[in-house]
Formats: sequence, structure tokens, C-alpha cells
Amino acid sequence: MKLYDYILSPSCYKVRLMAALTGIPLKIRPVDFHPGGEHRKAELLALNPAGSIPILEDGDLVLTESSAMLVYLSMKTAPKWLGDGTAEQAARVQQWLSFSHRLTANLGGARLHEMLHRPGDIAVLQAHGIAALRELEAGLVEQGLRGKSFLASDRPTIADIACFPYVALAPDGGVLLDPYPAIRLWSRAIRALDGFIEMPGIHRLHELKPDPSIAAGEE
Amino acid sequence: MAENAMLNQWYPVGLFSHLAKGVYKTALMGEKIAVSADANGDAVVTTCAGRILPVLVRFGHVWSSLGEPTKDLFSIPEADQPGRRFVEVGVVRVRCSPLRAVENFLDIAHFPFVHTDILGAEPHTEVQNYKVEIRDVEDEVWATQVKFYQPQAAKSASGGITTEYMYRVPSPTCSVLYKTCPPRPTEWDVITLFVQPLAEDLCDVWPWMALFDDETSMTDLIHFQQTIFLQDRSILENQIPHLLPLDPGMEIPTRADMTSVAYRRWLKRHNFTYGAQLVAQ
Amino acid sequence: MPAETTGFWAPVALSADLPPATVIPARTTAGSIALWRSQSGRVAASADRCPHRGMRLSHGFVRGEALSCIYHGWSYAQAGNCLRIPAHPGLSPPETIRVATQKVEEADGLLWVAVGDPAHQPPALAGLVPLRSLTAEADIGAIERAAGATLDARGVLETVENSQAVRLLLVELQPHRTLVHVLVDDGATPAERIMASRAAESLRRRAESLQGGIA
Repeated sequence: MKLYDYILSPSCYKVRLMAALTGIPLKIRPVDFHPGGEHRKAELLALNPAGSIPILEDGDLVLTESSAMLVYLSMKTAPKWLGDGTAEQAARVQQWLSFSHRLTANLGGARLHEMLHRPGDIAVLQAHGIAALRELEAGLVEQGLRGKSFLASDRPTIADIACFPYVALAPDGGVLLDPYPAIRLWSRAIRALDGFIEMPGIHRLHELKPDPSIAAGEE
Repeated sequence: MAENAMLNQWYPVGLFSHLAKGVYKTALMGEKIAVSADANGDAVVTTCAGRILPVLVRFGHVWSSLGEPTKDLFSIPEADQPGRRFVEVGVVRVRCSPLRAVENFLDIAHFPFVHTDILGAEPHTEVQNYKVEIRDVEDEVWATQVKFYQPQAAKSASGGITTEYMYRVPSPTCSVLYKTCPPRPTEWDVITLFVQPLAEDLCDVWPWMALFDDETSMTDLIHFQQTIFLQDRSILENQIPHLLPLDPGMEIPTRADMTSVAYRRWLKRHNFTYGAQLVAQ
Repeated sequence: MPAETTGFWAPVALSADLPPATVIPARTTAGSIALWRSQSGRVAASADRCPHRGMRLSHGFVRGEALSCIYHGWSYAQAGNCLRIPAHPGLSPPETIRVATQKVEEADGLLWVAVGDPAHQPPALAGLVPLRSLTAEADIGAIERAAGATLDARGVLETVENSQAVRLLLVELQPHRTLVHVLVDDGATPAERIMASRAAESLRRRAESLQGGIA
């Protein structure tokens, strides 16, 4: 499987993260998104006329939507990431996958504007991003009251992976995460998963590794 | 502000290779400017009011000034060596003081915590003594004999090595880093940070490199450097106060911070205070 | 709000939102705090700023009984003194390197930070338990107007929203920004808790539109 990838793209990171969590090896083909604009040049437009990344190639199959890639990776090797098979969980997964596309537009748009000079109405993007974070916070609170720590289930699904990157990187676009305790706990739970990998802007949880040398007086 | 010595410095305002795309609108120290190419392909920089600003092109970037620079832009002789590959890493905007951006670039003690498993890793956190001076002739800050153990020092490194560094500050918002070059151990790889002050708490950072590396693709080189810088960005946007304190009291340096201590002292000496605060608050 | 004595207790977070070995950002009108719980469960409120290079400590990490700054890993004890500087492993950090701390109490499932010097203990909530915290871009006054009720001496607002009883513990964070802790009866069922959460969201929407500040 070959992933056309940009290291700073949260959408590409969704796929890299999913592959790491499920142990699927990916061949990475780096795309010079910035400053080169390679995603909009002839070679990649031929593969994906939408001019977006990520693009996933597996033999003859070419996928251009990150949600589809998440579904593909889980169905191939780790179907538990799709939910427990019930209609309710499948629907919840779809609900949050659709929601995740709004995050790309609002939180992602704010980030591209604040960091990489892309055009946009920053006040509107941030306001929409805040509204989305509030929905996510309320959703996580309610899941918690149902005894579930993840968006669709009591274990992580592709719904969590689809939402996590843009949420974790919201501060890049000037949207702080301070007011959302449930999102903070959920984000920690994802970052503590076996096989979790970071992307630039999401740093390692150093607390997961014990202090390499304990100084006197610390205990 | 008119008294500010930083007005008469050169600042990066764009990539020369991107001028063909049309007029690039940006800002310099609070003033809106436009960067474009004339009929001959030469760079032109003007303010909104139509004032033509000084301009030069070097290291792949267009440089300009709101004042009248008294000296030429600094040179980097290593950049003229044959076989060097030049990497334009691309601009990143950061909501921080331009001086904070430079100071972070000069720091190595953060490597194990911020660039974990790339430029540093616990338990290899110790920063050994190194040499710092303000060179009077060039009027530049230099740190030499800097050493740090790195799991993956560069795209061209095949494993962990003790990397040697030199740091240089040739102008208030620019820094040049010279580091061990794995394919050619007697040469230095050159990595620069050119910082464009948009406002006292907002800047555009233009990293640029001159490397000996014939193996790695240009995109991989760009992505490696962008990774490092993006890891620093969330630190830079969360330092308080926003303006760099030039008086002691607010912040506590240790021996590992000697380069930054010298940088702050050099800034204060020259009245380079755009993006800085003076009285300890 | 309680009558001003020499200080008061600000409820800054739910206990459940601060698991062991974690740090979170918190705020009172006196400033920002890195609120953290050690591995053994002890809570501390440190000033949200590392004295080294000014990095927010709430972005850091907790190992054992110490809070470390994410930038250079400087570690602090709950009392505020610096324990370790990783760049100089053999160095005992001087006593002068420390972060200011504030008194913190844990009671009724809430974490209370002292602002000034409170004369008493934090108010008791008597049978109410906190459900969740949310932030409203509105003054306490706007929330009171939206609710058609006023705060009691403990800082609790009681009203009915969409036929649902709502109890909110309010504390000012900044002008036009209030921290709202939704309270429910100890015996409330999950379904009742969900209804209380939604009612609080509804009230927040009305308070914010009264405040006029949110898109």
C-alpha cells in the first residue's frame, strides 16, 4: 500500500496513525504540498483530480478520501476498529466520520490560515471550530455517561482516529483546547494507545515513560 | 519605534523562486508591503503608500528593509561550495516574538523533550559546556564546540551520533547553524532560520539549508526540517511574556543557555528591541 | 458569589477531570494555573509558567510526585521548588528556582483553588455531585438573566430549563467568560444526567446570545 503523504497534513496523519495502530506497513511517497504545491501539479492531479492529499494506492485501488482509507485499513486487518457490528455503533461511526469532515474545513482551515498563509475568514473558521469542539465535548460527555470512553464504542474506532488529528492541532489555528475536559481525557487515551505515533505539533506523552533517573526527594 | 535600531536591518520577505506567481502581499514590522518581480525579473518591494524599499536577493530569498541598511546582508561562505544542495523549506507563520523564534533555534537543551527520538532522547539530556563569544569584528554572536547526542541527527544519518554544532547570530532575527555533516565529516551542514518580523508578537519564519546530501529527495529534506520547526511552534506560541525579556529577573538561565544569554545581551547592547521588553515585570 | 472576606475558594475543575499523573490548565481571576495530580493522588496548583523560559507548565507532564515542563524538562515538586534540570543532571537546583503555588482543596468531587486568603473552607454542596464543566462566553449576570434566577451564597444557580431542573455552580474566569459546573443529585440516573447536560447547554446558548458575544 502506497500513501501519497505530507508530513504536516492531519488528514494524511489519520492514515499513518491507523496503519501504525493496526500494524499495516505503508510505503510513503512524500508530496511537496508546501512550499511546492505538488498536489496541484500534473502527476498528482492525474491520480486525484480533486487535487487533495492523502491518496492511497493498493494495487488497482486508488482512494482519495481519508475516511475511506480508514475503513479500508480496518476491514483489511482489524475490523474491531469499525465497531461491534451493531447498527447503532455503525451509525455512530458514520455520524462522527461525517462530523470529522467539518473539522477539516473549520479547524483545518483555521490552521492552514494561521500557519501556512492559506486564505480564509479566520474569525468565522475559529467560531465554527469552537462550535464543533463543543459538539464533540458534549458527545464525549454523553458517551461517558453511557459507560463508553470513545466516540462510538467502549474501545477506539475509526471515528476517533478521524476526529483526533484536527482536534489535537486546533491550537495551531488559534483555537485553544483549555475549555474541554472530556476532549482532553479522550485525547490522552488515544495518545496512550499501543502503537500510537505522533505528528509534528502533537508531542510525545513523556509521562508514559518513567523518569530515566529518579533524583532524591522526588518520591 | 523610529529610534529603533532594528529598522535599518535586512529581513526576509519572500522566496525569489515564487515571484513569478504574482504580487506577494506581506508586512514588515507592522507596515504592509508588496513583493513582486519587474519586467526584467528583478525583485521589487514597495509599501502600500508606494514607497520603494531597499531590496536584495540572497540565499534564495528576497530581503528588504523599512529603513536604510548601512551594511550588506551577512554572507555564508559555505553556501558557495560546489556540491551544496539548497533547500527552501517554506514559510511558517508563528504567533510569537521574532526574537523568541531565534532564541529557540539557538537552544539545544530542549531536543530530548520537543524533538524526541530525532534530535535528542532521554536519558541523554546533559548539555556539556561549550564556548560562546560576541565577535567584535563581525559583531556577531557565536557558539562553538557545542555537542549533543542525537538518535537521528539528519536525513542523511544512519543512526545515533554525537553531533557537533556551531551557532551564529549575524543579525537580530537571523541565525545560522552549522552541524556535523554525516556524509562528509570534515564539512558542516548549514541550516538557517531567517525570521521576518510582521509585528512584535507575530513572525514569518523562512528556514533555509545548504547541505551536502546527494541521496535524500528534496521533499524529504523539506519535510524533515518542517517537522523540526513544527514541533517548536507550539512551544513558541505558549511562552509568557510574549515579548523577549532583555533584563534579568523574569527568566532564569543556566550554563546550558549561554548562547541565549549572549544573544539577549547583544540585542540589548544594540538596542534591538522590536519584539523585546526591557523592564522586568 | 460569597461576600468578599480576604479571599474565596474558586472551583476550577472536577476531580474526575484530573486523573493521577496528569496536569491541566485552570484559571481563576488571579491568573492561570497548572493544576496537577501526582501519581499518588495529591493535587497541587502551580503558577502556569516555568521560570526558565516562560513556558506554560500546563503543557508539561507529571511523573511520580513532580511536574515537568515540556520545553526543557525542568521538574518541580508540589511545594514549588525545582527538583531537577535535565541539562545539568548532577546539579542540585538552587532554592531560588521555584514556581508559586496556591492552596487547593478537594471536596465534593470538585477542586477548589484559594484566591487570596479565604476565611473558611470551600462551601459544601450537600447531596449534589458535579457532572461536567463547561465554559460560557458570558458574564455571570447574563447567565442569571437567561436563567431568571440568581446565585446563592455558594455560587450555585438553580433554575428549570426545558422542564428540566438545572443546578449550576458558577465562577468568573475573565470578563465575559464564566466556568460552569453542572451539578446533579447524587442518585441521578445516566439518562437524567444526559438531560441535565443538555439543559445546561441550552441555557448556555441563551446566556451567550444575551451577552451578544458569540457567533
